[in-house]
Amino acid sequence: MTHEPFDTLAAVHAVGALDGEDLVRFEAHLREGCATCEAALREANEALAELHRQATPVIPPAHVRDALMRRVQSSSRPRPWRWIPWAVGVAAAAVLAAAFTGGMVAARYQARMGALARDMAQAREQLRREQALLREEVKIARSIADLLRDPATRVVALNGLADAPNANGRVVWHEKAGGRLYVAGLPPAPAGKTYELWTIAGPAPRPAGTFDVDAAGRGSLTVAPVTDGPVKVFAVTLEPAGGTPAPTGPVVLASAK
Amino acid sequence: MTGPDLVRRMAEGDRNAFARFYDRHARQVYPLILRITRDPADAADVLQEVFWEAWQGAASYDPGRGTPEAWIFMRARTRAIDKVRSVRRRSETFVAPADERVTAAAADPGGDAAERAEDRGLVLGALGQLPEAQREVIELAYYGGLTQTEIAERLKQPLGTVKTRIRLGLERLREVLKRSP
Repeated sequence: MTHEPFDTLAAVHAVGALDGEDLVRFEAHLREGCATCEAALREANEALAELHRQATPVIPPAHVRDALMRRVQSSSRPRPWRWIPWAVGVAAAAVLAAAFTGGMVAARYQARMGALARDMAQAREQLRREQALLREEVKIARSIADLLRDPATRVVALNGLADAPNANGRVVWHEKAGGRLYVAGLPPAPAGKTYELWTIAGPAPRPAGTFDVDAAGRGSLTVAPVTDGPVKVFAVTLEPAGGTPAPTGPVVLASAK
Repeated sequence: MTGPDLVRRMAEGDRNAFARFYDRHARQVYPLILRITRDPADAADVLQEVFWEAWQGAASYDPGRGTPEAWIFMRARTRAIDKVRSVRRRSETFVAPADERVTAAAADPGGDAAERAEDRGLVLGALGQLPEAQREVIELAYYGGLTQTEIAERLKQPLGTVKTRIRLGLERLREVLKRSP
């Protein structure tokens, strides 16, 4: 699978807008450790920061600063390492060598505390992300289960055509609620391309969303209900990245008429 | 003192460093929060919380992951969106800003159209130099707190189009910012 879809997902993540399956996929990708995406996120954050640095400043109400300074003055945030250099200083008057060793210990202790705090913050952040991911996954699974319970729901099979003979797909479909497409055996889209689903109900095919597949050729897509009558055919074509309003590329998967 | 040094001092409990950090960044962080919450009282609350958390969490700042500015702006944006969502949950009437380029301080800027356009230029900054379609999606996401799916629904555009616009918009923003000092 090319890296390209992740470049787009990284941009969407940077503005805090990633959701659903894309969020799940991108977080999994980040967890595998992708320096490219980490750099992309960092660069996007810096660009957004620069945007605000260049914006016209607005002086906040003075009471905010006053309140903060009061809170900070009276805060008893434990900083256990603060007394160590002081204690070491007293000892230094007597034993210089001991103080030197103590200072080293204090400095290392302090560095260690900083690293621990960072680790903890990162662990918390990771936990928060994983919870968000699980919520998204559960949401998707629940919506499909709800759909399958509905007697009006049908499951439509899609078969691979000449360009992807080993591919197959299923659309869990409800005319009023929409549904979800699952595909398998599709080769990853070449660079600059993406797969696009079409619904044919009226005279012309309607775009129903783009998707990409993982290294194993699997992919899925949530499909919104259509307004131009019951869907007669579902088809998947290969299109330029971002999708097109009308099909231009080869049909790789289609349901029987 | 460099930004990262200042945050390191805060992590060591240096209250003066915190005061300097606040004075350095608050006037830039405040308009961002104001733009998202669109309510000065809410914005002041969020501003206080963001800097309080920065004081308490200074040790968690990792210079390898970005500048202190990016760190504080990101926290401010997240907290401001949280605030708007909690207000929305309470009132159920909140609608994220679609087209209105609202800055809180200037509810009615007055002046003639050209002056207002100029004000807007100041508010939009580099974003104003993006094609309308790209600026719109970035604003809905970053300031409106909408997800890609919500943006696609609102604009009645395919999800892929929304994602591509966000990516192109960010790329363009980086170019624009590189050219301006």
